[in-house]
Amino acid sequence: MPSNYIALNTLKFILNQVHGLADVLKLDYYSDHDMESMNLFLDAVKDFSDREMAPYFKEMDEQPAHFEEGKIKVHPQVGVIMKKGGAMGLISGIFDYEDGGMQIPMMVHTANTYIQDCANNHMTGYMGLTLGAAELIIHFGDAALKAAYVPKMLTGDWAGTMCLTEPEAGSSLSDLTTKAIPTEQDYYLLKGQKIFISGGDHEYISNFVHLVLARIEGAPAGTKGISLFVVPKNRINEHKGLEPNDVNTAGDFQKMGQRGYCTSHLMFGENNDCRGWLVGEPHRGLKYMFLMMNGARIAVGRGAAAIVMAAYHASLEYAQERVQGRKIGKLGKKKVDSLPTTIINHADVRRMLLLQKVVAEGSLSLLILASKYKDLSLHAKTPEEKEKYHLLLEILTPIVKSYPSEMGNIAVSNGLQVLGGYGFTSEYILQQYYRDIRIFSIYEGTTGIQSLDLLGRKATMQGGRAIQLLIEEIKQSCSEATKFSDLTPYTSMLESELESFKEVLVVLYKLTEQGKFELFTADANHFLELLSLIIIAWMWLEMANESMQAIQKDEEPHKEAFYQSKIHAMKFYFNYELPKTLGHAKILKNVSGLTIDLDREIFV
Amino acid sequence: MNILVGISKTPETTAKIEFSEDGKSFKSEGVNYIMNPYDEWYALVRAIELKEVHGGEVTVINVGTISNETVIRKALAIGADKAVRINKETSSSWDTASQIAAYAKEHSYDIILIGKETIDYNGGEVGGMLAEHLGVSFISFASKLEFDGSVFTVEKDIEGGVEVVELNGPFVLSAAKGLAEQRIPNMRGIMMAKRKPLEVIEPISDEGFVTISQFTKPAEKVGIKMVDPDQMDELVRMLSEESKVI
Repeated sequence: MPSNYIALNTLKFILNQVHGLADVLKLDYYSDHDMESMNLFLDAVKDFSDREMAPYFKEMDEQPAHFEEGKIKVHPQVGVIMKKGGAMGLISGIFDYEDGGMQIPMMVHTANTYIQDCANNHMTGYMGLTLGAAELIIHFGDAALKAAYVPKMLTGDWAGTMCLTEPEAGSSLSDLTTKAIPTEQDYYLLKGQKIFISGGDHEYISNFVHLVLARIEGAPAGTKGISLFVVPKNRINEHKGLEPNDVNTAGDFQKMGQRGYCTSHLMFGENNDCRGWLVGEPHRGLKYMFLMMNGARIAVGRGAAAIVMAAYHASLEYAQERVQGRKIGKLGKKKVDSLPTTIINHADVRRMLLLQKVVAEGSLSLLILASKYKDLSLHAKTPEEKEKYHLLLEILTPIVKSYPSEMGNIAVSNGLQVLGGYGFTSEYILQQYYRDIRIFSIYEGTTGIQSLDLLGRKATMQGGRAIQLLIEEIKQSCSEATKFSDLTPYTSMLESELESFKEVLVVLYKLTEQGKFELFTADANHFLELLSLIIIAWMWLEMANESMQAIQKDEEPHKEAFYQSKIHAMKFYFNYELPKTLGHAKILKNVSGLTIDLDREIFV
Repeated sequence: MNILVGISKTPETTAKIEFSEDGKSFKSEGVNYIMNPYDEWYALVRAIELKEVHGGEVTVINVGTISNETVIRKALAIGADKAVRINKETSSSWDTASQIAAYAKEHSYDIILIGKETIDYNGGEVGGMLAEHLGVSFISFASKLEFDGSVFTVEKDIEGGVEVVELNGPFVLSAAKGLAEQRIPNMRGIMMAKRKPLEVIEPISDEGFVTISQFTKPAEKVGIKMVDPDQMDELVRMLSEESKVI
């Protein structure tokens, strides 16, 4: 492992200075917390990650989770993490006091899990899914379900999962077939199978609480007939002990990355004795699940962003040490008799490092902003504010999930490239990051699904209100940044991008007016990429603006060089990444229709 | 058992140290601070462990300005019951020991624990000076501390073996690696720390014995020079005349 996997100062800069955690802490709901305690918590998480997570990262890849004699074997540290992480409050932290939580802001929760993700992305899902499953029970379950399951999940004694995908129903959940048969008792009998269940089973946890989507017998077809059930691996018997609940593990999936994070194939009710308890009302399961899913999508973006950050630091460390080649002299030739230089001094290596930096830190900034919107959507002072931030979070979620995942693949590939041939060897960690990050553009809705969600649903909701709010926020940032003359060329560029983006919207909205719905969403992926590029530019402008202010005020806690590095990275992003909008805008405005109504023979 | 634990604030281990133009002070701009690991990981945690078994109270004491309260809060979050900050930018080990001793004399402690040294100045002097001020025994570099209800047993690593000491309190002990295992504060502890008492007291006037005349950094490493394998005479000349190692 490289000696450093995260820039904690950058995380705190983005959290505290750029996105103003202090403002969120002023809300009544968070009044028990202050900046000092939040920073202390993050430092504690970094210590925890240094000690309990990072040392096992490579090992978990080299000794992957696997199915053996009917059981899934995972690294023993998974059990340690669940217990110690539970005791630290890493699972319970965000919940209300009355549910056993500590009401920490989502901004801080995101920052804390981001640190863990940077240290060891194979590990965090075990706690993360437990948190998500507990959240569903807390929000929609009755008092009995809460009392039976939530306390042990929050301490990490029991784990949670979400069970959606079936062999014939992945992105299309309306086709799922797992059955729930009503009984005269308070439970249903479940029957079916679920695949790709992350953290679904292993020997270090005494019980797994599966949140299962199933169709009650006689329910309507499609997504409207889907209900949500709590299905424990071991059910609680009349003596308050545990007994098997006819949930069996049929196997696992061996993967190219995240090999320490087990992925199971679960069988429910093979012996007709699998009991499930309905969560909330019948036929509303998918709606409930999407509460968890939206959080999970932000978590996926966070995981990808963290891998980019860790990979960037690994390649940066190498570039600062590896001596090779000579600088080009004044006459355009290399002096063969001069001393070789470290590769960080070569322009192309710097380009690759800067690309990683802008993707890593731009993604992190977006994640923290989205988390702030989540906090404000729940706890802002007025209903109008809550609605505004809810809409902003809605429009950002597909981008928070997809940009770090898609650009992360490219950024980590560049990180590996910095190491040349060594990057391809198992001696160095870059190849592991490269394999690990690939799944993130697939998890919890592929990029294709996110693009459709963004253009087909979010961009049109409430007559385009969310997009309008987003544009206003960006314009506000541009306006604030213009007080620094050094930034005005960049504010102009971003404003110009917004105008071009509006032109694209006009073209696309016209298609819906004409009833050309398939054409409208055919290039949704380019729409997502276009808007992502603009949003990350916004993030970098915010960081540069904050840096300029800090330099002007001679503000600690960072040195001027730190702030200058942010301004330089902003310039790189605007010069090297933002111009890529041109291609996407051109494709979207052309409306070629080349990907629809195709004669299949075109692929011959 | 009432235990007093001395804690210090030090730059984190990866901090790049820079000195002021006159070389008499160190620049704090952009430096992150932590609790001195020997104080935190070993002295404080062992004190809390003893309290958990035998009852009593753990008080942490720090000599420093308000900016030190972050590390004091951390000590409270880990499990100390209360804290005292003596409001003074300490000038030397003697100063620190004098200030802590003045406070300790006014209170009754069964034992006083402190890290074997701080990781910035590496002096290792405060424990001995403190014991001398208080007129009690001092045990340095302890790697094990047990209490059977009446007698303390201390182990310390010495050249080629381990020295075992039995004694009664009060005494001052400087903690080394092995005395305890690091505890990471949890969120509940961090929240509780805000409600624990932190008393700020003014320092005693103390006659200082130490003035800093100059800080200097080690000489920078000279760049590598490549010598062609055919040029052995040149290599010998360089080693002899430039590096002066032969």
